[in-house]
Amino acid sequence: MNKRIDPISLEITWNSLKSVADECFITLMRSAFSTNIKERHDHSTAITDSKGKLIAQAENALPIHLASMGGLIQHILDEYIDNINEGDIFIANDPHVAGGTHLPDINMAMPVFNKGELIAFVANIVHHADVGGAAVGSMSGGLNEIYKEGLRIPLIRLYKKGEIVHDIFRFLLLNMRLSDERKGDINAQIAACRLGVSRINDLIKKHGVMYIQTVFNEILSRSKKRMQIAISRLPDGDYSFTDFMDDDGLNTKDIKIAVKIIKKGKTILFDFSETDSQVEGNFNLTFNATQSSVCYSLKALLDPELPNNSGIFDAINIEIPKGSFLNCLAPASVALRANTCQRVVDVVFGAFINVLPEKVTGAANGANTSAVFSGVNPLNGNRYVYLETLGGGMGGRYTKDGKDGVQVNITNTSNLPIEAIEMEYPLRVEEYSLVENSGGAGKHRGGLGIRRTIRPIGHKCEFSGVGERFRHSPWGVFGGKPGKPGKFYLKDKKGKITNLSSKSSGIYTTENHAIIMETPGAGGYGKPKDRKKEDVLEDKNSEKFSQNYIKKYY
Amino acid sequence: MTWIIGVDVGGTFTDFCARNNTNGQTIIHKRPSTPHDPSLAILLGLKELKLKFVSDKKRIARLAHGTTVATNSLLQRKGGNLALITTKGFRDLIEIGRQVRPSIYDLQIDSPSPLIKRRNRLEIDERIDFEGNVIKNISSHGINNLEKKLKKLINIDGIAICLLFSFINPTHEIKLKKALSLRFPHLPISISSEVQPEFREFERFSTTAINAYLQPEVGKYMENLKKGITTNEPNLELNIFQSSGGLTTIERASDFPVRMALSGPAAGVVGASETALSSSFKDIITLDMGGTSTDVCLIQKGKAELANMRDISGFRIRLPMIDINTVGAGGGSIAHLGKDGLLKVGPVSAGAVPGPACYGLGGSKPTVSDANIVLGRLPENLVGGEMKLNKSKAYKAISPIARKLKLSVEETALGIIGIVNSNMTRAIRSVSVERGHDPRHFSLMPFGGAGGLHAIDIANELSIKNILIPNSPGILCAEGLILSNLQESFVKTCRTPIDSNLRSVQKAISELRIKAKNWFANEGKGKGNKSLLLFIDMRYVGQNYELSINVGNTLTKSNLPNKIVLKNLFFEAHKRSYGHFDPLAAIEIVNIRLRAISELDCRPSNISNNKKSPKPFKITQVWFDNKKAKSTKVFERSSLPSGFSLKGPAIIVQEDATTLLPPNCSLKVDKKLNLVLRT
Repeated sequence: MNKRIDPISLEITWNSLKSVADECFITLMRSAFSTNIKERHDHSTAITDSKGKLIAQAENALPIHLASMGGLIQHILDEYIDNINEGDIFIANDPHVAGGTHLPDINMAMPVFNKGELIAFVANIVHHADVGGAAVGSMSGGLNEIYKEGLRIPLIRLYKKGEIVHDIFRFLLLNMRLSDERKGDINAQIAACRLGVSRINDLIKKHGVMYIQTVFNEILSRSKKRMQIAISRLPDGDYSFTDFMDDDGLNTKDIKIAVKIIKKGKTILFDFSETDSQVEGNFNLTFNATQSSVCYSLKALLDPELPNNSGIFDAINIEIPKGSFLNCLAPASVALRANTCQRVVDVVFGAFINVLPEKVTGAANGANTSAVFSGVNPLNGNRYVYLETLGGGMGGRYTKDGKDGVQVNITNTSNLPIEAIEMEYPLRVEEYSLVENSGGAGKHRGGLGIRRTIRPIGHKCEFSGVGERFRHSPWGVFGGKPGKPGKFYLKDKKGKITNLSSKSSGIYTTENHAIIMETPGAGGYGKPKDRKKEDVLEDKNSEKFSQNYIKKYY
Repeated sequence: MTWIIGVDVGGTFTDFCARNNTNGQTIIHKRPSTPHDPSLAILLGLKELKLKFVSDKKRIARLAHGTTVATNSLLQRKGGNLALITTKGFRDLIEIGRQVRPSIYDLQIDSPSPLIKRRNRLEIDERIDFEGNVIKNISSHGINNLEKKLKKLINIDGIAICLLFSFINPTHEIKLKKALSLRFPHLPISISSEVQPEFREFERFSTTAINAYLQPEVGKYMENLKKGITTNEPNLELNIFQSSGGLTTIERASDFPVRMALSGPAAGVVGASETALSSSFKDIITLDMGGTSTDVCLIQKGKAELANMRDISGFRIRLPMIDINTVGAGGGSIAHLGKDGLLKVGPVSAGAVPGPACYGLGGSKPTVSDANIVLGRLPENLVGGEMKLNKSKAYKAISPIARKLKLSVEETALGIIGIVNSNMTRAIRSVSVERGHDPRHFSLMPFGGAGGLHAIDIANELSIKNILIPNSPGILCAEGLILSNLQESFVKTCRTPIDSNLRSVQKAISELRIKAKNWFANEGKGKGNKSLLLFIDMRYVGQNYELSINVGNTLTKSNLPNKIVLKNLFFEAHKRSYGHFDPLAAIEIVNIRLRAISELDCRPSNISNNKKSPKPFKITQVWFDNKKAKSTKVFERSSLPSGFSLKGPAIIVQEDATTLLPPNCSLKVDKKLNLVLRT
């Protein structure tokens, strides 16, 4: 097992493993039914070793899924160790007992055996458009326990020794809306598992078990070492940062997220002990979600090309007390976790402000702003539900301004064409633009937020929105000014404005009111007085900033 | 005697392929490009070429031209200073795009900034709804205001007009275009309902903006070219090659330069598929390996598939284009040690300047070409002896890495080749699987200078049995040009449930057929067959993507196939693309497309077969494994007659390409003088 492999063969075999993960990713995408996978690619695939260590992830896998797949295998090993068989397929989604991060993400894994010996697992994860619960989409705000958020699937077997367990499948499907689509997507996950297992078997046949196992170990130790080298280049010391989330949509306001980073030699500890306890509203994170966010941040700051595998986790220590907002216990609700993940990234970036001044950015829009419009389409009498997620500002950077109107950090989902929205739903989009003056001033200014104005046509429409950084503005760094907070409001035909809360639900409007969503901008980098003249001129000429704003800050 | 000429202008060379249309004689010619004015190399080359014609009349009937002018203008951002006019409330739409960023982890990588500055993006108060009803009219006051604002903008040299729902009701765009062309007669105006009248506003706007951006430069180039050529050859028919795989007139190319964005590589694919067909290979994967990147395209049943969307250096274009994928690995890709201590190749490339170390142009970084020369696979004399490669510089470039890896220089070179091949294999596998194909069922066709050096290893990795190497792999683009036909695409969005009355679809087809008939009468006047292919884009209700389905030739009759036939075709396509279909779910029609093809005549190349049995012109030492170099025979490609076969190891050299035949592989020269290699 300790036989060394030359660095050329290792690179080539590693490439083959990534290729297997890629092929599983594409197969899943192609055979899935739902738009969420086909168009938005809200899925990931991976290979782990027999101990559940993540070895390779598909090129386009998502940061938020990073820790969940390994988490699932850990549970398989803990609960089933003597009872894992060739042809088994495990399925789970529960954040509290099965390694998940929120219920719509259904995890699946299949073991790879060679002559009776467990060699590896092939795993994948898919964001399903619905897993039951109180509201369509299983993502609505204001739910105070996980039971309301959808069906909890503990770690169970959907296949036993190659035979499907029909009872389980029927039980799952009955509890989800649009069960045909769910069935199609779950079948796609199964197909991806099987393909992965057969490809790994091919590699074992070609190279032998010993070789493959050695490659696994080499990948982990080299990635860990690569991360450790990046870490050891940081100066030793303690770095802290604190930020507050607006609220949980129920009773808790100003939720504190605090990190203390203790860096010594090649070790690094992220201590979140000072963070608030878990909340009633569904913004809590499980440990895996926090771990994914921390890894994302560190990778983005230190080594964006670092391959995604457990080697990264192994180089990082994270400490969070149980019951914390970032390490919640059952029955905490978690559906809107992505907003909190975004804030964890901001906080980690914040802690590194003085350590990595060339890498950190001003705080980004810090949210995963989402909106749901629903009602009955007056043209055909059918009920409709339209969900969208909106980007915002990206923080100012060392060398340049933050990008305007874009998805940041942990998320990168696209918008839906306006012409598609209007053909599909009784809604009219009246404006899609950048919010003037929303990027914080600075040597390099923060990016602008997005404004979207939507008017229901000929019917009564229900609006629910989830936003963050409506009160706690995205901060600037090194003297950069904060970006403008986000805002939801209604506007009647005379221009009268009614403000809505950042977690709005059950707001009914008609054609008389337009619903306006403004996402937060982002914080600037460096002092406004150091901004180049031509950049200030461009701020003015582009009409992204008003005369008054420019006069005030530059 | 009449000649047909294909001219492919690349960054370094301008390639010519001339075919005598009476006896099939083929002449090829290569000369350095003239990047400051690419038409210069064409005109000079034509003169040089005519001296090679074995004919006293030397009449050139037509010239087909593939150009990178549009591509380069976009890549180097040398296009026009534009104004954009759009619906009130949406001037940022083209900047926000799909609100995604190109790299998830790298905080420094952004999408390119928009081609049109924000201050130059003007709004007009107007609105059309999703059914084409006018919600808000354009007022003359609004147009006057627009005029005032346009006059205030500095040095505008083009206008793009992009309004919401113009693909259903173009009247507002047309009205604005008319009004503004009266007021600004010298400015070219692109409107989205003409450039690509299809739904999805960002893609349509972006395509239109790129078109307007390219118009000043491409228009100027086309004008120069036309002037230069008609002075010398007044009766010559000049056609330009489009990314969609067909030719168009120079006038249309000037109006719609965005259609030329992939002109160069697409011609290679036409050349490849025709060559493969002539050797009875129908399903092939092309591998066009250049200096910095490699283009891969899947050809099935002799036809390359068209993709309807593509990003070119971060700019989105929605138009039919030959489905070519670019892999960031080529002969100039640089080998280096990664942060994990492993050997990596690319994505950084030494490019043409300074190029690989062995070029002796000042490059010192080890590249794939350096590895090939160290292993004895690449002869030291390249491009007809004009350029000599320096083996010792290649050694010197690779040895620092070899020392760090504690390997010999040859072992390291083998590693570099192994890794670049594994990168390409991974990319080809992804591309094939994504399109629902198993690469094992294809043959591999390498072209470009270095393709033949890597083909066998890549084919082995993909379990591909046969490799076809065309007679002139370096000139395939120019050859593809003379074999191309005139082609024009028409599209209309017409969203209709398939189970409803399809009268509106039928009406849309009739409208498009009238346009197509006009095109045949005025532009598509080839002497050969004509066809008018009808494609229907369909999807399940609720899906966000369509499948474009060919439902047959509609040249003589305009009848839409019945619903059962349409549905079955859709099911079949859905199964092929996504692995399943649902016979009961509701289906809708989204777009109607017509592709008009007017075939031009071109004789097949006559093969002058050399009867002598070939002899190797030298024996060289080539490394195939890390044990020792093997004595390997080197043949001139032109000396190999059809029917000749050979067992590896061997190297086959020709002016613009090198083919490596490892031990235990075999080679046969077929009737068309193409090489068939077997793994």
